[in-house]
Amino acid sequence: MRNLFNFILRNSHWLLAILLVAFSFYLVFAHNSYQRSVYLTSANNVTGWFYDTSNHITSFFYLKKNNAQLLERNAELEKKYYDLQALLDSVIASDSMVVEAFAPDSITTPQFDFIPAEVVNLSFSGVNNFITLNKGLSHGIRPDMGVISQQGVVGVVANVSPNFSVVIPVINPKFRLSARLKNSENYGSISWDGTNVRQAQLQDLPKHEVFHEGDTVLTSFSRIFPRNLIIGFVSNTGKSGDDNFNTFNVHLATNFYTLQDVLVINDMFYEEQQTLEETLKQ
Amino acid sequence: MKLSYLYEIVLFVLLILLQVLLLNRIGLFGIATPVLYLYFLLKLPMGKNLFYVIISGFLMGLIVDVFLNTPGMNAAATTIVAAFRKPVMNLFFQKEEYDEFVPGIYTATGPFIRFTILMVLMHLTLLFFIESFTLFNLMSTLLRIASSSFISILLIFALDSFIFKRKRGEQV
Repeated sequence: MRNLFNFILRNSHWLLAILLVAFSFYLVFAHNSYQRSVYLTSANNVTGWFYDTSNHITSFFYLKKNNAQLLERNAELEKKYYDLQALLDSVIASDSMVVEAFAPDSITTPQFDFIPAEVVNLSFSGVNNFITLNKGLSHGIRPDMGVISQQGVVGVVANVSPNFSVVIPVINPKFRLSARLKNSENYGSISWDGTNVRQAQLQDLPKHEVFHEGDTVLTSFSRIFPRNLIIGFVSNTGKSGDDNFNTFNVHLATNFYTLQDVLVINDMFYEEQQTLEETLKQ
Repeated sequence: MKLSYLYEIVLFVLLILLQVLLLNRIGLFGIATPVLYLYFLLKLPMGKNLFYVIISGFLMGLIVDVFLNTPGMNAAATTIVAAFRKPVMNLFFQKEEYDEFVPGIYTATGPFIRFTILMVLMHLTLLFFIESFTLFNLMSTLLRIASSSFISILLIFALDSFIFKRKRGEQV
């Protein structure tokens, strides 16, 4: 008995190590409870603060580039604005009576609202990539909202705290999104194979689908994203697990290396659609 | 004694910040990420209490996990390495060397280099295998382990020689 106690006492540090490793592995495999816990992710206020501060410093280095991008975007929008204005003018000039009689309905709300946010941290070196944003619950961000950049789709909000949120980006193996080629209606699914940050895979497209290099890949039916958002461009044919379907490598429109500003999509009708579809399941 | 604790806490915090704010954003050729926080475990005195070593290793890994959103992965790998620190040390260092002895690249060049290489290889092998548990791509995992270990080991030697040179200068 005494020997046993001695043995346990002498090796108790191994016992401690085994316990701690067991706890760590519990965290590794309990994905769902982990995703829900705000405390053990970068969405908590302490880690968020560190990332926020470091982001303030690093964002200076990108100012010039971001500015150029904004100007470009601005020019594009301005051009569109003038085009629309011109169109409107022509319509009003030809038939002003009708326009006056047909007062626009002021209670219609647009389906999508955009919340601008800044990226305070992002990882793309590992397999478990994620992005932390500097806005959270108090700014109206909820889990399952879509996130886009100026170039294209970024990811989906997974976890929110009052002031921060964590996004699962396209470049995470857990990410799935239905997508289609611009010139067809067949849809497949976008996923990431973990090798290249600039490249995702479009799977499950029927074999007869005609494609060309550089074809635009757009979002298809999705609860989270509006239709026809740009995801990327077809670069070449990839390895396919099934003979009846094609897999393409897709060059992602969003450059995660330089990602700074994003828009979070707030779908006004998300809950309505959700509850409607829930009723059907019962 | 108090001073050494302060020194350890500062090193602990600085290494974590270095890891999460700078090193983890590096992906050389898309595969090699330097992992430097293990340096803390390498630089504890040889005769340090085993519980202290294991718990500090676990905490270090867990804090890095919290920042990087990798549930338990760094914690598991670092705890295992911390538990095996003593046996690995016995492989390379003389047992007669005293408990307060801190291995370094200037104080025990050969053994320290071998010790570091083995510890980092262990750590990153565990880390990347745990991380890619769900992934099937063995070749890319091995490539990542090799390249990341190489760059981490180099950086640890650089960091160690840098810190020690400064210390020597202060003493003179």
